[in-house]
Amino acid sequence: MNTTTADKRVLLSLMAAGAVAVAPHAGELPFWIIAVFAVGAAWRYGIEVFQWYRPGKLVRVTLMLLLLVAVFRQFHTLLGRDPGMTLLITLIGLKFLELKTVRDHVVSLFVFYLIILGSFLYSQSLWLGAWALLAVTVCTAALMHVTQPTNLNIAQRLRLSGVMLAKAVPLMIIVYLLFPRISGTLWGLPADAHSGLTGMPDMMQPGNIRQLSESSEIAFRVSFEGAPPALRELYWRGLVLTEFDGRGWQRGVNRAGQEQVSFTPLNEAVRYHVTLEPSNKPWMLALDLPAIRPKGARYQPDFTLEHREPIRERLNYTLTSYTRYNTGALDLAERVLNLQLPGNTSPRAHALARHWQQQHGAPLQIAQAALDNFRRENFVYTLSPPLLGDDPVDEFLFGTRRGFCEHYAAAFVTLMRAAGIPSRVVLGYLGGELNTAGDYLIVRQSDAHAWAEIWMAGRGWVRVDPTGAIAPERIELGLDAVRRLELQGLALGSLSSEAVQRALALGWFEYVARHAHWYWDLTNLTWYRWVVDYGKERQERFLASLGFEDISWGRLVGLVCAGALLVLLVYALPFWRLKKTHDPSHAAYLRFCRKLARAGLARAPYEGAHAFGERAARKRADLAASISEITGLYEDLRYGPMVPDQVKFTTLKKRVATFRA
Amino acid sequence: MSVVPTEVVLGRRQLFMLPTRYGLLFALLLVVQLLAAINYGNGLAYALTFLLGSLAVVSMLYTHRNLFRLRLSASACAPVFAGDAAVFRLHLVNATRTARYGVAVMHGKKEIARVDISAQGFTDVDLPVPALNRGWLASPAVTMHTEFPLGLLYSWSHRVEFNHACLVYPRPAAPTPLHTHPMESPEAVSGMKAGGDDFIGTREFQPGDSPRHVDWKAVARGKDWQVKQFGAGQQVTLWLDWDTLTGLDMESRLSVLARWVLDAQQQDLLYGLRLPEQTVNPSNGEPHQHECLKRLALFELKS
Repeated sequence: MNTTTADKRVLLSLMAAGAVAVAPHAGELPFWIIAVFAVGAAWRYGIEVFQWYRPGKLVRVTLMLLLLVAVFRQFHTLLGRDPGMTLLITLIGLKFLELKTVRDHVVSLFVFYLIILGSFLYSQSLWLGAWALLAVTVCTAALMHVTQPTNLNIAQRLRLSGVMLAKAVPLMIIVYLLFPRISGTLWGLPADAHSGLTGMPDMMQPGNIRQLSESSEIAFRVSFEGAPPALRELYWRGLVLTEFDGRGWQRGVNRAGQEQVSFTPLNEAVRYHVTLEPSNKPWMLALDLPAIRPKGARYQPDFTLEHREPIRERLNYTLTSYTRYNTGALDLAERVLNLQLPGNTSPRAHALARHWQQQHGAPLQIAQAALDNFRRENFVYTLSPPLLGDDPVDEFLFGTRRGFCEHYAAAFVTLMRAAGIPSRVVLGYLGGELNTAGDYLIVRQSDAHAWAEIWMAGRGWVRVDPTGAIAPERIELGLDAVRRLELQGLALGSLSSEAVQRALALGWFEYVARHAHWYWDLTNLTWYRWVVDYGKERQERFLASLGFEDISWGRLVGLVCAGALLVLLVYALPFWRLKKTHDPSHAAYLRFCRKLARAGLARAPYEGAHAFGERAARKRADLAASISEITGLYEDLRYGPMVPDQVKFTTLKKRVATFRA
Repeated sequence: MSVVPTEVVLGRRQLFMLPTRYGLLFALLLVVQLLAAINYGNGLAYALTFLLGSLAVVSMLYTHRNLFRLRLSASACAPVFAGDAAVFRLHLVNATRTARYGVAVMHGKKEIARVDISAQGFTDVDLPVPALNRGWLASPAVTMHTEFPLGLLYSWSHRVEFNHACLVYPRPAAPTPLHTHPMESPEAVSGMKAGGDDFIGTREFQPGDSPRHVDWKAVARGKDWQVKQFGAGQQVTLWLDWDTLTGLDMESRLSVLARWVLDAQQQDLLYGLRLPEQTVNPSNGEPHQHECLKRLALFELKS
C-alpha cells in the first residue's frame, strides 16, 4: 500500500464526510463538542493550505488529555451514550491533526460510520434516516478517494458510491427483514436512553389537561377492523380518578382488585389495532370499554388497561371493545371510594347538590339537573379559561363559569358525590382525526379529555360527559373544530349546523395541506412499522404472513443467504454472460448478416466473413461495393490491430445501418 | 523462437479475491455496529449495519468486474543490447462498456503501474526489464491487481505470461581495431558500380525493381523482400571473423564482433560474418545487421 500524505483534496473529502456524519449530533450534544471537531478539521486544513502551526506529539497528547477532562466534567462519567458519542466526535476531530497514512484516513472514515450510527440512538425519524443515507454516500465516496488514487473526480465518486449503495439496498432489506431479532437488550440500556416523552399525567389538577392540549404531538393511532364508530363514541379510556383532595383528582388506592373484570356487552364488538406512542406512562389507551387484556397489560378493576412498566417504546396491541355495556353491581368499598369528598370545601356546590337530591331523588334526574344547570346558566366552554384559586369547584360553578373539559368533569363529579351518587372522573382522549389516506385514526395529545362516570343501580357505570352539555361541538366535531370555531370568534353551544358547516369549510389550501399532512403521517406510520418498531414481535408477524411460522434461526440464515445470492446473481449475470457479443464490431457484422439473410442470402456456418462476402458480392452484383466495404471494415476491426479503430468502427456501424438488401 | 502476438482474457477462473486489512477492519466495524443495534434494539442501526455489509458484498462484484474480462497482450519487444533495459509493452484493452479504475500491473511483489482504462478503451504499460545476458529474454510474468472501488477487497489474477521474448544482442565491446583476415585483405576501391555479374549483397525491395533480382528464396522463408545487387565487385568487403580474435574468451569475442558489426554498418560497408560452423554472407542494411547480431546473440545457446 502506498502511503500518500494527506493531500489537500483527500483531506477535503474526509472533512466533508466528517461534517455530514457529525451534523445530526449538533442538535443533541453540547455545542463545544461540535466545535472541537470543527476546529480540529479546520486546523489541519490550515496546516495543509496556509502552513499553520503543526502541533507536535506532546501538544496532541496534551489536547487529548484536556478533552478527556472536559468530557468527564460535562458528564461526570466516560461511559454511556452521550459521553461515548462525545469522545468519539472530539477525538476524531483531534485525529485530523495527525492524519498521515492511508490507514489513518480509513480508520477515521470507519469512525464516521460509527458516529452516523450513534445519531440513531437519539432519534429514528424518517428525516434522520434520509440524512444518514446521504452521509453514508459521502463517507463511501471519501473511502473510495482515500484508498484509490484514481482519475475519478468528486462527482463520479459520489455517483459510484450512490449506485453501489442503491444496489446494496435490496440486499440490506432482505437481511434487515429476516435477521433474527431478539427481545430485550444484551447489557441493558444506559439511563439516558429515554427522555423527553409526553403523556397523560397520572392526576388531574386545574390546568394540566389544558397544558396537554397545547401539544399537537400524536398520542396514538388506531386502525379499525371494519367501519369506525362515530366520532362521538370514541371515548379513549386512559385512567380513572377517584380520589379528590379539594383541588386535584388522583387515582384511588384500591387498585389491586380482581384480575378478571367482567361486564355485560350491550352492542356489537369493535375490533381495532392501536399503535401507542411512548409516553413514559403505563396507560394503554382503549376504547370505552375494553373487553380483553393484551399481552403485557394488567386489567384494572376500573376497566382501564395498564402496562407492566412505563411505555418507553412505541407499543402495538389489538383490542376488542364494546361501546354500550352494563357493568353491574358496585361493592361497598368501591361505593365508599366513589362517594369520597373532602369535607370542608365547596360548600355552595354541596348545598346545590343537596337541593337537587331533595328535589329529584333519582340519580338520572339529578345528573340531568346538573347538566341543565350548565346549559341554563351562562357557562362557557373555552380553551383559555381563567385561573382558579383554592376552592376550584365553587369558584368555577358560581364564579368564573368559564372552563375546559377538566373543569366541567371535576365540578360534575363533585356535585354528584355531594348528591350521594357514586361517580368518578375518567381521563383519556376523545375523538381523533380520521386519516383517509391510510384509513386510520390519529389521536393527538390535544384530544385529551376528561369526562365523568356515575353509577346507577341496574345500569352500572354510565358515562356522562358534561362538556357535551356546554359544547356539543367538542363531542361531535372534535377539538380541532372547536379551536377553529373559537378562532373565528363564534360562541360554542348555540350554533346552527349550517353556521358550523360554513365556519368549518376548508379553503383549497387548507384542504391540500391537510391531505399532504395525512400522507406524511401515513409515511411516518409505515416508517415506524418497518424501521423503528420492527422488533421480534413484528418480525414474527411478518414471517408468519410469508408462511414461515416458528422458523428456526438456521433456516432463517439459510433464507437470508439464498435471497442475497439471488440478488447478487442478478447483478453479476449481465457482465458474466454476453461472452460472444462483447465485440461491438462483431455485433454490427451480425446485423449485416441478418439483413442479407432476410434477402435470402444466409451465411453458412462454415463460411468465413471473407468467403461469404465474396459469394454475396457475386450473387448481388448491385450491392457488391457495399458488401465488400462492410466485410473489409469488419475484417480490419476484428482481425486487425488489438485496439479497434474508432473511426472505422463508426463507419462500419453507419454502413450496416444504411445497408438495404 | 517465433514472435506471435497472443492475448489473454482474464476470466472467472483466473481471478481471485480476498479482503484487505481494511476489509477485515471493516468487518470488525460491522460487528461493533451489530452489537450496538442489538443492544439498543434500534431499527435504523440494524439498517445501517446491514447496508454497510451489503455495500461490502456489492463491492465484491465491482472489484471482480474491475479485472474480469480485461484483455492483456504484449507487443514484440525491439532487440536490445545486453546491459540495456528490454521494454516490453503491455496492452490493456477494456472491451466492456464500463471503465476500469486503479488497475495495478504487478511484477512479482512490485507494482509497475496503476492505470485507469476508459470504457472500450485501452492503455499501454511499459514494462522495463534489465537485459543482463545475450540471447532470448522471456517476457516477465505479470499479475493484475486491484482494490477498487473501496479498498476493502483485493482481486488479483493468476500469473499472466506472454509468448514473447526479447532478443538481447551481446554487449558491444569498446571500439576495437578490425583484425583483418590475412588471406583476404580488403581491396580498397571506392565507389560502387551496379550491374556487374558479381553478387555484392542485397538491399530492400523498391517498386520498379526487376522481379528477377528479388531474393525469392528469402521471401519464401518469410523474410522481407530483398533485391539482390550485382556489381563489379569493387565494393569493400569486410569479413568479420571469429578466428581472428584469438586469446579472448567467447563472450568477449562476441562483444568485439558485435562492435565491428555496428561500426561496419555505420560506415555503410559490405560486411560478412564468420563464426565457427556458420557464415553470413557479406551484405549491408538493417536486416543484415540484425541477422549478424542475432547470430552473435544466439551463438552456442540452446535454442
